[in-house]
Amino acid sequence: MSEPSGVIHDIGYQRYTGPRLGRRHVFGALYLHGLRTAFGFGRSAKAKIFPWLVVGILVVVAAGVTAVRAQAGVVIMTYAQFPDVMSWLVIFFVAVVAPELVSRDLHSGVLPLYFSRPLPRGDYVLAKLAALFTALWLLLGAPQLLMFLGAAFSRDDGMKGVAEELGDVLPGMLYAGLWAVVFGAIGLLIASLTGKRAFAAGGIVAVFLMTTPIVGTLSIMPSQTVNELALLASPPTLVQGVGVWTLGDLLVPPGTEDTVRIGDFGPLYAVVLVAVVAGAVALLLARYRKVATS
Amino acid sequence: MSTVAWITARGLFGRRRFLMLFPLPLLLVGLATTSRALGVDPGQWGQPVLVGLGLAVVLPVIALIVGTGVLGSEIDDGTVVHILTKPLPRWQIILPKLAVAVGVTALTAGLPLYVAGVLAHSVRFGLALAAAATVGALAYSAIFLALSLVTRRPVLLGLVYVLIWEGLLGNFVSGTRVLSIQQYVVALADRLAPTGLLETPVSVPVAAVMSVVAALGFTWLAINRLRSFSMAGETS
Repeated sequence: MSEPSGVIHDIGYQRYTGPRLGRRHVFGALYLHGLRTAFGFGRSAKAKIFPWLVVGILVVVAAGVTAVRAQAGVVIMTYAQFPDVMSWLVIFFVAVVAPELVSRDLHSGVLPLYFSRPLPRGDYVLAKLAALFTALWLLLGAPQLLMFLGAAFSRDDGMKGVAEELGDVLPGMLYAGLWAVVFGAIGLLIASLTGKRAFAAGGIVAVFLMTTPIVGTLSIMPSQTVNELALLASPPTLVQGVGVWTLGDLLVPPGTEDTVRIGDFGPLYAVVLVAVVAGAVALLLARYRKVATS
Repeated sequence: MSTVAWITARGLFGRRRFLMLFPLPLLLVGLATTSRALGVDPGQWGQPVLVGLGLAVVLPVIALIVGTGVLGSEIDDGTVVHILTKPLPRWQIILPKLAVAVGVTALTAGLPLYVAGVLAHSVRFGLALAAAATVGALAYSAIFLALSLVTRRPVLLGLVYVLIWEGLLGNFVSGTRVLSIQQYVVALADRLAPTGLLETPVSVPVAAVMSVVAALGFTWLAINRLRSFSMAGETS
């Protein structure tokens, strides 16, 4: 019986000795990656088609509105009305981006790799949420900025006019942020339930669209209280209700008040909106406490 | 029932996710029942419930999920090669799958529409809605099945059609309604049971002919695409 003759060769493995970036940097990298994913940067041309289709339509509409206002002096829509009119495109954008952000990771089972880094599970969720919020806000805010620039340069009463426009566009941007928070939180929650992007996209659209007719039905019920509470039933109209309460005639120009009536329930709308967003985020955090793959 | 149809049906119903199909029809029936029970005039709730929810959301979304699912999910997880390597003519693969998609869609969308139609007006109106929805299911399913062979992202492309073409443009640019399955369904239902609840600018002959053209054309496209289908990796 011969002696074992194994040898351990030194093939030059080395420990990493460079600086170790902590939790904050992991969060930042994940956020930036999510934001780039949303618009398809750093990926193939195919991944850019759908996000940029939506961006393109929104910018064209904003440019058209600006041109009409500059030439004919007619205000087709105020800054704050822009997200309302474009709500179907926003839903589509969420259905494109949210599955890209979370469903792919579930599908390919890379979550254990993420969580082997100094990255708490909550941070993963919050980074993805922040990326989706930012993407949605940019999507709605940038066309408003375009409209603002067009309006500011076509005012002929100097700085006073520009300041007036600024007073209109800033609440509009905040309102866009409200849209981003509500749609992002709900969309990401639905997308996180399945690893199949196709099903996630269908589910998001189904949830947002199936709630709209509930509002339509409730608002023709024979009770004024029910009519005024009807907007609570669907995310887009919930945001609209809060907007009507806080922005007033920036969102509902005089003469069109009949279309959205919320009565004295403004504070209730705000409370429900906060509760919906908080609930969606809490459910997302709970979902990611256990899940590894779908 | 052919083996392909059997496999497809099991693929659809064998998992929990087919439960996703049920909230939409239940909501439709629920809203119609509530409106009827509270005595609201059907002329008021008919439009938002029957057209706004039933024909504009329930029918296309279910057709989209089922239609892209019958073949698309097999392409996604790669098991479609098992069928493709069998010595079957391609039409014997497409047609059973299409039949399952149409059957499931017509059942899950047509049944609640029938109930809502009965509650809104009469049994005849309910039957007209269900029949028109079946025609719509045929056209939608053919389109979405073909889409799942033409592109790697059939659901998103289908959503572009349903949301942007039929939903958004249909409201602003009335010319696009001539190329919208939803309007064909409305036209056919209105012809089968004239009630005044439905209205569309599309004439009945156009609707009937275009529905058939869409169904046959996209079925042919699907069979043709499957003849030269090549498995590709995941898109990035």
